[in-house]
Amino acid sequence: MNNPYQAIPATILETHDETPNIRTFVLKPEQEIPFLAGQFVELTVPGFGEAPFTPSSSQFKRDTFDMTIMKVGRATGALFDLKPGDVVGARGPFGTPYPLDKFRGKDIYIVGGGVGLAPLRALFLALTHEIDKYQRIFLRYGARTPNDIVYRHLLPEWQKLPKVDVDLSVDVSDEKWMKKVGVVTCLMDDIPCDEKTSIAVVCGPPIMMKFVNQKLLDAGFQGENIYLSMETNMSCGVGQCRHCRLGPYLTCKDGPVLTWAQIKDIENPFV
Amino acid sequence: MLTPAQRRIRASEPVKSFMLQPRRQVGSFPETTAVEEPGPRVLLGIKNCDLVPLKVHDTILGEGEFKDPFYLAQRKSTLLVAADCPEPEKSCFCNLLGLTPYAQDGADATLTIVDGDWLFEIGDSGQQLVDAAPELFTPVQEGSPELDKRARQRAAAVAALNVTNPRPWNSDLSGAVAAKRGDDSFWSRHAEKCVECFGCLMGCPTCYCFLLYDQAKEKSLGRTRVWDACYLAAYARVGGGANPRAEFVKRFANRFVCKFSDFKTDHGMYACSGCGRCFKACMGKIDIRKVLAEL
Repeated sequence: MNNPYQAIPATILETHDETPNIRTFVLKPEQEIPFLAGQFVELTVPGFGEAPFTPSSSQFKRDTFDMTIMKVGRATGALFDLKPGDVVGARGPFGTPYPLDKFRGKDIYIVGGGVGLAPLRALFLALTHEIDKYQRIFLRYGARTPNDIVYRHLLPEWQKLPKVDVDLSVDVSDEKWMKKVGVVTCLMDDIPCDEKTSIAVVCGPPIMMKFVNQKLLDAGFQGENIYLSMETNMSCGVGQCRHCRLGPYLTCKDGPVLTWAQIKDIENPFV
Repeated sequence: MLTPAQRRIRASEPVKSFMLQPRRQVGSFPETTAVEEPGPRVLLGIKNCDLVPLKVHDTILGEGEFKDPFYLAQRKSTLLVAADCPEPEKSCFCNLLGLTPYAQDGADATLTIVDGDWLFEIGDSGQQLVDAAPELFTPVQEGSPELDKRARQRAAAVAALNVTNPRPWNSDLSGAVAAKRGDDSFWSRHAEKCVECFGCLMGCPTCYCFLLYDQAKEKSLGRTRVWDACYLAAYARVGGGANPRAEFVKRFANRFVCKFSDFKTDHGMYACSGCGRCFKACMGKIDIRKVLAEL
């Protein structure tokens, strides 16, 4: 029987610094991890601990996968000391993927904040891989400063893709910044899709998700069409240890992406 | 010394310790950890309030897409011989949860001591115990006086429980607990007496929350699983430091919601068997029965 707590080795092939404290790690696992966009992987930094991250690369190319990670604590701190060639542990995929079949034929309005663009990139790549299945894709992304924008080199390429519309904002600009200044909701004053039927997908810091969600509801989006990446403490990743309980859900199993319709009755879901 | 089967009520230590050990290695890196099959063993004298929680653990750890191979190996190698509680104590309240002071299912065999003789009823996989030493057993016929005596003994135990705990809780206990989910003023009356020792959770036969953590060894690491407690401040805290249950009263309420509402909704059973260990251990004398009686 499989041991769900046992990680498999994954070699770091490359690293790319996205911002001063966010780095993308390209990992090659010993066996393919068959993730779908929205699912997560538990990453072990040998000797330091384990934490859940969502792959940020395409589900259609899985011999390697990317993890875009912000340095915040003990495990991520130790991870940033590792170099290409070093080996980490991985187990997964866990959780419930984005239900892409429900997104078919619709406009998809994606809102990201900070490192929250990482899991949204996996979604974006899954959508654009089969772009004929969907209407248009809107990506709205906010970061603190121009230096805190992740995938800086990719965003201009994404803007050129057919049926894709990208817009960016920063909280604090510098002299070279030509786009909007303000928190990400400043990009949402005029939402160019049908709010009754369109899908909204949000990932970012809890406070950002709270306000973006409210803005989407005010604009007329339906609760069951708003997909939110919920942050909870996870340990086992497989629906047993109970740390990630959020109202009636286990985010590691039912999530980490839940709709507003699912969580609206939970007391203060955006902690 | 009395054998566990002869004791009036359950032992102090919950039976879960045998299946989901308080601390064990469940992984390693880069090499893998083998799941060893423990030799066959018999747990003798399990009371029903320890037997019923195994159903909870079987559901969480033994079913679904991801199963715990360590738990299942322990479970598979263990024969469970239950024993009646002929004289429930004042701390027992299985009757309030619809349970009985004797096993009804889930045991491989059930023992009842009747006039000093051991009445042995074969359950799920208990026949092998009889086959192993047939000379120790004498068949009992249907309608024999021993069975009649057992029935009366059991009825007396149930009657004693109904005297200790006469008043049933809210008939919709799950709904009543859920309705108080965010009502801090209700829970704080009891929570303020808690000294956060977690004795109630460690001793609980049902609680199974655990934490995985890694320890560096020379050139590898060992992944250890330890019991965890939802009363701990860090239990739900996320990497960035945010905590949905930073105040103790939220964690206190969460325990009740988990046991009596969420579990009932998700799995059709309460995560409590009325063993009374939680308030026997409690330094603040918080009696779970009294908390629930206020609903």
